Amino acid sequence: MRVTSMLADIQYQMQQSQQALATATQQVSTGLRINQLSDDPAASSSMVISLGVSANVDAYTSNIGSVLPQMQTADSAISSIVTSLNTALTLGTQGATGTNSASNTQAIATQVEGLLNGVIGQGNTSFQGVFLFGGTESITPPFVAASTTYTSSKGSVALPLASTTGLTNGLVTTVSDATTGDTYTFTATAGDTVASLITAIGNAVSAGTLSSGVTAGINASGQFSIGTNNPADGIVVSTNDPALGSMSAVAGTAVANAYAYVGNGNSNSVQVGESMSVPTNLPGNQLLVSGANVIGSLNSLISALKSGDTSKIGTATTAISAALNYVSQQRVPLDNTISQLNAQDSSLSSEKLTLTTQETALVGISLADAATNLSQASLDNSSVLAAAGKIMPQTLLDYLH
Amino acid sequence: MGSLGSSLSIAVQSLNAASGALQATNNNIANANTPGYTREVPILQEVAPTTVGNLSVGNGVAIEGYQSVRDELLTTQIQQETTAQSGANAQLSSLQQIEPTFTTSTQDIGTDMSALFSSISSLSTNPSSPSSRQTVLTAGQNLATAFNTASNNLTSQQTGLNTQVTQDVSQINQLTQQIAALNPQIAALKGTVQNGGTLEDQQNQLVLKLSALTSVAVTQSNDGITLSTGNGTPLVVGSQSFVLKTTTVSNGMTDVLDQNGVDITKTITSGDLGGTIQTRDTTIPSLLTQLDTLANQFGAAFNAVQATGTDLNGATGTAVTPFFKFPPTVPPAVVPIVGSAASIKMAITSTSQIAASSDGSAGSNGNLVNFSTLQNATLPAGQTPGGTYANLVYQVGSLTSGANAESTATTSSLLQLNDQFNSVSGVSIDQESANLITYQTAYEAAARVVSTIQAMFSVTLTMGTAAAE
Repeated sequence: MRVTSMLADIQYQMQQSQQALATATQQVSTGLRINQLSDDPAASSSMVISLGVSANVDAYTSNIGSVLPQMQTADSAISSIVTSLNTALTLGTQGATGTNSASNTQAIATQVEGLLNGVIGQGNTSFQGVFLFGGTESITPPFVAASTTYTSSKGSVALPLASTTGLTNGLVTTVSDATTGDTYTFTATAGDTVASLITAIGNAVSAGTLSSGVTAGINASGQFSIGTNNPADGIVVSTNDPALGSMSAVAGTAVANAYAYVGNGNSNSVQVGESMSVPTNLPGNQLLVSGANVIGSLNSLISALKSGDTSKIGTATTAISAALNYVSQQRVPLDNTISQLNAQDSSLSSEKLTLTTQETALVGISLADAATNLSQASLDNSSVLAAAGKIMPQTLLDYLH
Repeated sequence: MGSLGSSLSIAVQSLNAASGALQATNNNIANANTPGYTREVPILQEVAPTTVGNLSVGNGVAIEGYQSVRDELLTTQIQQETTAQSGANAQLSSLQQIEPTFTTSTQDIGTDMSALFSSISSLSTNPSSPSSRQTVLTAGQNLATAFNTASNNLTSQQTGLNTQVTQDVSQINQLTQQIAALNPQIAALKGTVQNGGTLEDQQNQLVLKLSALTSVAVTQSNDGITLSTGNGTPLVVGSQSFVLKTTTVSNGMTDVLDQNGVDITKTITSGDLGGTIQTRDTTIPSLLTQLDTLANQFGAAFNAVQATGTDLNGATGTAVTPFFKFPPTVPPAVVPIVGSAASIKMAITSTSQIAASSDGSAGSNGNLVNFSTLQNATLPAGQTPGGTYANLVYQVGSLTSGANAESTATTSSLLQLNDQFNSVSGVSIDQESANLITYQTAYEAAARVVSTIQAMFSVTLTMGTAAAE
């Protein structure tokens, strides 16, 4: 075979070796085996999935970081409530002995009132703007001091509201009752009027959602009014219907030691693992109203102490004891969840490490391999250039002198 | 017996032959690096001897002409391999520009999709948080932008390839015109003793350039070469060339027509034009369809979940602003799949419009859980959103890798064929240097013969004079 110019072959070999050298240099500088999808399409595709899983693990870890202090704060609040109930139990026991003077009994009652205020304060605990015991109604305090009468801002003697005044479709009026611990929610539908709302409130009383004695109507000032004729009971009313304006308590109608729960009974769950979600809040009505009724039992003790009746004080103290047990039980799942979150955090750290290792295996290259590749590519390139340097200048003409 | 005169004649012929051979060597050396040049060899032929009685005396050498040394089979193979290489390179070049759109580690659709789900997960820990809601809004905008960018990159690449089709057709027409013009000149030379090699070299070089653009079939005839495309569309017959035309069709793309106006676009499958058409009409539309489907179905799934929740303004159901929109179509109107990736935008413009709540209260995250489940939900196309994108990444990588392998293989094969071609037709400087010495020596020797005969003539002419003296 005749051999003519080897230039094209040498150029091709130089290009190939320089390409290999560039690839090896890139591998060393980036630590990556794959720098384009075409370097390994299957690994690149797997990397997309792996990065998605990895992002989820990061999100779950971040969620734990957000939720855990929130739940710890809730746990701390419940712990304070337990302490308050223990104190109330001691005070109740002290009050029930029958050896206290009337003034002492009144002083004890005042102390229990202070404990009730403290419990309500704990019930209104917030963490970074979230009221922890409001259910999913968590942007306003869930426990609100109740009054006997609420009136609308709309309506006056000159321009009174009427039973025929239309309400706005889809907007909501709520009545929370301190005695029942329930909230009645009225959502206006098309064609509803103030009369519809008055009828609905009457029905809620019949159903037991609201206490007997709660009534609604248009008062003498032409305002829409909701109130209760039971001086020991209290309600909290709110609306977002512009037909009524805002609902506010009439001055001087506040009921001592009566608090209505304006949150709801729902709870949120947050995903902290691929198949793990945890409830993140304990609704305040479940904690302090329903069950052994912490607020109710404290109120009963206050009333009993104020009456000076040792028998009633004893009964109320027993109720406090039951409330204490109930609250302690409510705390257990919360503490379990906190433990789960701590364990899951460790598990996610381990999973993240595994994923990072997998990702490195998919697209990375070990330093030793990269250095070896670079050394080999460098040697190949030098060899090609040296060979080219030797061969290219040689022609017969060099020898024909 | 030969006379001094006939000897002188032989010597002069020898001078001519050596001079002619030197000219061929000179021309070879001059064109050693000329693309497409095939080396020429002088055709030296012994002149018929003179027979006197039973004695036969040689009459020297004559140069009959020059012969270009070429192998037609190798030439054809190089043309075919060039076509294959150009086709692979055209596809590789486009795919390498598409590849960065689908990275796995920067601002791509997969990353932005994960970021959106992560932001929703984070929002679930505090559903009314304005900053967390803003993060969701930003992540959604980033994802929509990533879809838009990917779609625009593919469309822009397609537009560039469309322009390339027009340029390729224009070049094909120029080349076929030049090739046809050479046919009668070569045919005229073939009837004489003159060398047609240079013109044939030029023509072969033009055919090679044409082969880089599209597959051509070459047949030899008395009128020169006849060229047609791979599917038989004539390009050159004798001195006549047939132009290809272009036309813009309904989808805005440029199609190729033969001289009769018949659309031959789908039949052009190789060469730069074939590779360009393949990428423009098959590869990119396939990727775009998958991208559009993903954007469309992902957006529809998000909008469906959004409609089941309540936003911070209390809006729910049909009153809720959709999560994504596809201008000019605004959900709940049915969004056509075509163009979805290019048009997808965030429909919600305020953080309060994210329908996170499932019970109407501001602190509920119930509907965010529904958003999160979409990550592992199967879209109507049959895969999860992440799985669909991973599949798209695999396809782009695989197509690029395949084109790269094809390009490397054809380049290597073409290099070998060119080595073989050069082995037959290439100029070896060493060989030409040796020839130079050979023909120089022959010329010197012939000149010495002339000089010797001249001396003999002088002796002969001075014979009488010397005797008289």
